Amino acid sequence: MSFIKKFIEQEKINRRNFLLAGAYGMGGVAAASMLGVGPARAALTDPAVAWSYRNRTNPYWNEIVSGGEAFVESLGKSKEFLTHLINEGSSEKSLSDVKALLAKTNGNLALAIDTNDAPNARPVVEAVAGANAYVSTLWNKTDDLHPWDFGDNYVSHMSWSDEGPAEKTARILLDAMGGKGGVVHLGGIASNNPAIERLNGLKNALKDYPDVELLDAQPADWDTQKANQVMSSFLTRYGDEIKGVHCANDTIAYGVLEALRAEGIDDMPIVSYDGNPQAVDLVAQGKILATVFTNPHWGGGITAALAYHAAIGTFKPSDEPNEHREFYGPTVFITPQDAADFKTSFIENIPTYDWKDFWGPSNGQIIYK
Amino acid sequence: MNEFVTRDALIKWAPLIVLVVLVLVFALVEPRFFSVRNFARIGISSAPALMVAIGVTFIIIMGSIDLSMEGTVSVCAVAFAFCFLALGGTLASVAWLALPLALLVGAAIGFLNGLVHVKLKIPSFMASLAMGFVGTGFALLMTGGDRIRVEDEAFRSLLTVRWLSFPIMCYVALVFLLFAWFIQTRTKLGRNFYAVGGGEELAHSSGLNVNKVRVLGFMLAGVFYAVGSLLAVGRIGIAETATGSNFMFVSITSVVVGGTALWGGIGGVWNTLIGVLIVNVINNGMVVVGLPGYMQDGVLGLLVIVAVVLSTDRKTVEFAK
Amino acid sequence: MYQLRNVDKVFPGVHALKSVDFEIGRGEIVGLVGENGAGKSTLMKIIYGAYQPDGGTINIGDKIVRFQSPRQAMEQGIGMVFQEQSLIANLSVMENIFLGYEQQFVKFGVINWKEMAMAAKAQLAKVKLSIDPATITSKLSFAQRQLVELAKVLTLEERVEGELVILLDEPTSVLAKEEVELLFSLVRELTSRASFIFVSHRMDEVLELSDRIYVMKDGEVVDVVSREAADVDSIQHKMVGRDVDKEYYREQKQTPYETDAPLVSLDGVSLGTKYREISFDLHKGEVLCLVGTEGSGREAILRTIFGLDTPDAGSVSIKGEYVRSFSAQAGVAMGIGYVPRERKVEGIVGGMNVYENITLSQMKCYSNGGVLRVSEEKALAREWISKLAIKTPSELKDCGGLSGGNQQKVVLAKWRSGGSDIILLDHPTRGLDIGAKEDVYDMVRSMSADGVGIVLVADTLEEAIGLSHTIIVLKDGEMQKRFEGAPGSKPSLFDLVHYMI
Repeated sequence: MSFIKKFIEQEKINRRNFLLAGAYGMGGVAAASMLGVGPARAALTDPAVAWSYRNRTNPYWNEIVSGGEAFVESLGKSKEFLTHLINEGSSEKSLSDVKALLAKTNGNLALAIDTNDAPNARPVVEAVAGANAYVSTLWNKTDDLHPWDFGDNYVSHMSWSDEGPAEKTARILLDAMGGKGGVVHLGGIASNNPAIERLNGLKNALKDYPDVELLDAQPADWDTQKANQVMSSFLTRYGDEIKGVHCANDTIAYGVLEALRAEGIDDMPIVSYDGNPQAVDLVAQGKILATVFTNPHWGGGITAALAYHAAIGTFKPSDEPNEHREFYGPTVFITPQDAADFKTSFIENIPTYDWKDFWGPSNGQIIYK
Repeated sequence: MNEFVTRDALIKWAPLIVLVVLVLVFALVEPRFFSVRNFARIGISSAPALMVAIGVTFIIIMGSIDLSMEGTVSVCAVAFAFCFLALGGTLASVAWLALPLALLVGAAIGFLNGLVHVKLKIPSFMASLAMGFVGTGFALLMTGGDRIRVEDEAFRSLLTVRWLSFPIMCYVALVFLLFAWFIQTRTKLGRNFYAVGGGEELAHSSGLNVNKVRVLGFMLAGVFYAVGSLLAVGRIGIAETATGSNFMFVSITSVVVGGTALWGGIGGVWNTLIGVLIVNVINNGMVVVGLPGYMQDGVLGLLVIVAVVLSTDRKTVEFAK
Repeated sequence: MYQLRNVDKVFPGVHALKSVDFEIGRGEIVGLVGENGAGKSTLMKIIYGAYQPDGGTINIGDKIVRFQSPRQAMEQGIGMVFQEQSLIANLSVMENIFLGYEQQFVKFGVINWKEMAMAAKAQLAKVKLSIDPATITSKLSFAQRQLVELAKVLTLEERVEGELVILLDEPTSVLAKEEVELLFSLVRELTSRASFIFVSHRMDEVLELSDRIYVMKDGEVVDVVSREAADVDSIQHKMVGRDVDKEYYREQKQTPYETDAPLVSLDGVSLGTKYREISFDLHKGEVLCLVGTEGSGREAILRTIFGLDTPDAGSVSIKGEYVRSFSAQAGVAMGIGYVPRERKVEGIVGGMNVYENITLSQMKCYSNGGVLRVSEEKALAREWISKLAIKTPSELKDCGGLSGGNQQKVVLAKWRSGGSDIILLDHPTRGLDIGAKEDVYDMVRSMSADGVGIVLVADTLEEAIGLSHTIIVLKDGEMQKRFEGAPGSKPSLFDLVHYMI
């Protein structure tokens, strides 16, 4: 059970850092605000590196943070060098943790963060810029908040648009159905942005397939068990009319597969999203036709790398074009043909990335609708 | 109202009437709801929830509450999966030992739960809620956030093999329901649950060791949570930290909808069966009749309130808290 | 100025008040005495509006009034100082004083605490209490709380026009002697502001304070005496003076008890402030009655024998064995059965049926490895249902649905069927009708004939005298006197009352 020991030790260190930060916090914040925004320092030397995120329970965020850890290891430091700020889904906690850490490090900080919700991005960025530290954001920010409005301190923002990739997997599904029959969609939590985008992708694809009917679309809350129940209810309502299933992510697909298995159905075309290792296996076995890998490991690492290298002056963000400051993350399609290759190169061996190739795998500048 | 339909009888049978009415309404709106295949589907989704709800039924009869089920189910599921895979990964080998082990793990968590509640004199609500978090955290620690697949065909026959159109897991759940009924009606322990829930002071002054009864109650609940976790793993073939999620809402709701009183002493496992079926029929029926997704949560909440109103005798309640 | 005429109140099975006339004049202090169950508390509840009379009228001055609630009575100037103190312990004194009447201090939805504190101070001055109104009530002594209660009631003075009538229900029960003196002088001074109705068990206090005294018995006012004409003996005679029906208590069935080898033996047992230096023996077949007023320590002694309370000093022996650890389990194992006062709370489990209640304390004898032998349980229950003539359709009936007398029988069946030979009865006939009482008396006699030792706290003195072989009189937790009560040479009521009060 060495992993438990390791985990506990790591937590202990974080906790200690954090308590120190808290104790130190008040004075530090006051001092910083009294000084105001001083003359911008050209660069920092040996800044602390931190990742602020929801929690590690979710395999997705686990991947993101493991990328962050891989990055600090590439600097010749131990994993523990990366400070974890866990917000547990609270924007308030996210912001106050960042402020405490800024105070503790006196602004000598490179921060990678998902701010939990979009409105929280602005106060976080302003706090970081105010302390003359460096920040790169992932996923959440409002459309009117842009890195180039903050000089060098707001280094970059990365996000993914799922609509295009989801449309592409939908086409794979609809082709497999022979372009006719009924399709059902099992979505994420109804109000989640990725859930909306992935359903829209399906709808976009359907425009070119007049003989396919979208029978139903229900939220399955990214949850295997819920997906299992929703799928069995779909089977009652639509029975043999269902010729294909479009799942908003891999966890949902697992539940769908088991619901079908309970009914003895094992040849239903299914597509999903996220490219979890288990889903890749299922793609290799042909049980899922396609899934989309967004490489969260790279995303987590490069976000930290951008903030860090901007902080130490490797590059000057304000000299970079806009497409280097707001850009889409990578997407890799996995189909039965390439699943085996993908598995060897991405899962069985985590590739060693060049953490200074900031924009190589990225997917173009973010476009606002 | 004639003499055959007394108020007492009406209250006793109200949950069943609610269930029948729901089934009829859904069947009228969508005839395909009323099919053996769909009932089997409802059975599959009900079986794990029924086990968890039976566990908490005993606790609620005692007048306490147990909110540790989500953590306990996760830990049992993960412990089972690790052990099962380590011992060979098929029921044909010694790996079957993982089944009783999971039950032991459930009992152990329940024991801790009861001990914290009784010895540290922390309200059961708080003690079990905290224990549930500990359980979830521990399951996460064991899995590191990964899912563990349990692919063994023999174990998965819980889901895949059917007798009379219903998968084996439904029969397993039925056997444990009968076992719970036996405990409820035929054992000292079951009797003691009612005595503690109906009048703790009196139970004490009749020479009952109330604390012991409480701890045993939490252990028994833990065993049923473990059975629930095994069925949940059997249903989707995956053990993970999230295996336990949603069980708290479903089980507590089912117990209350079934007519077991939250203040203790009244109700039983058959009430819980009806309650679990009501909740699952609502869940299944809403999708089957094609209710838009955004309305489902709201409608479920409303229907639960209606079911509780109809199925509990609120005249005996002076004040609900 | 305040008058009740022909007031009647009937509860199911009990005629609690029978055509009661009552009046109180301006500035008068009226005493109200009577035994437990004589109707004092019902009368008081009617006066302060908690009950509505079934017949008769209530007048204030010339006006006929009818109160639907204590609040309405308060608005007419009638206030109650409760025996069980009604202050909320975790609120401050001023919040308690103005509980429910905070509106006068509210401006724009916010309470003006300063103003409330000033007003509270003024009220506290009326009762000569100089404490900070912001003090949390639980920090006060009992005497202080009693005065706060009084101050709270005196706020009526500002709120209502006309005269105040204030009821004092056992206000001295928790007070020390000097505190009682203080309270009395205060009450006398306050007669300029209000009239008082004073209820107490302590006859001397009633005589000392009251201008007139109403004596109640069996729901009737049997006499009204003025202070000058009153003497303790005659009032007590009127309170309890009834021909004692010897048959009623089955005295002819009373047989002498065995004097060797006591079942229970207490030697110099003390517990905190509840009782001190109690010593007695209980023998086979003996009915031993503990007599005293409420709070004299009777119940606490029963609880100690059963094992619910552990004494601080002295020794308790059960059947010759010295008791080391006190617990209910040990008590039950030694063959002790306890029938507590409130059957609803401690006697039967409502929701469980007759046979389940009967075997509750002895499931071990009806189970193998935790599995119950239900058919044997049912047989046992049927046996006792016929033995005690329990009126129930079957042993499957929910005990909560039985009448009080039958519940009591189920409780007795529980202990007797389990072989208990020491039975502790706390007010076994409280709330029962005559017939059910007689059943209980029969059971007491037959248990005694079977050699069961019984410790009884009776509902009335007559009951205690009629049923017992031995009577021990307690006062304030101390033994006063022991009486032997063989048939024909039983002590009289007056003998007992003399030592009780």
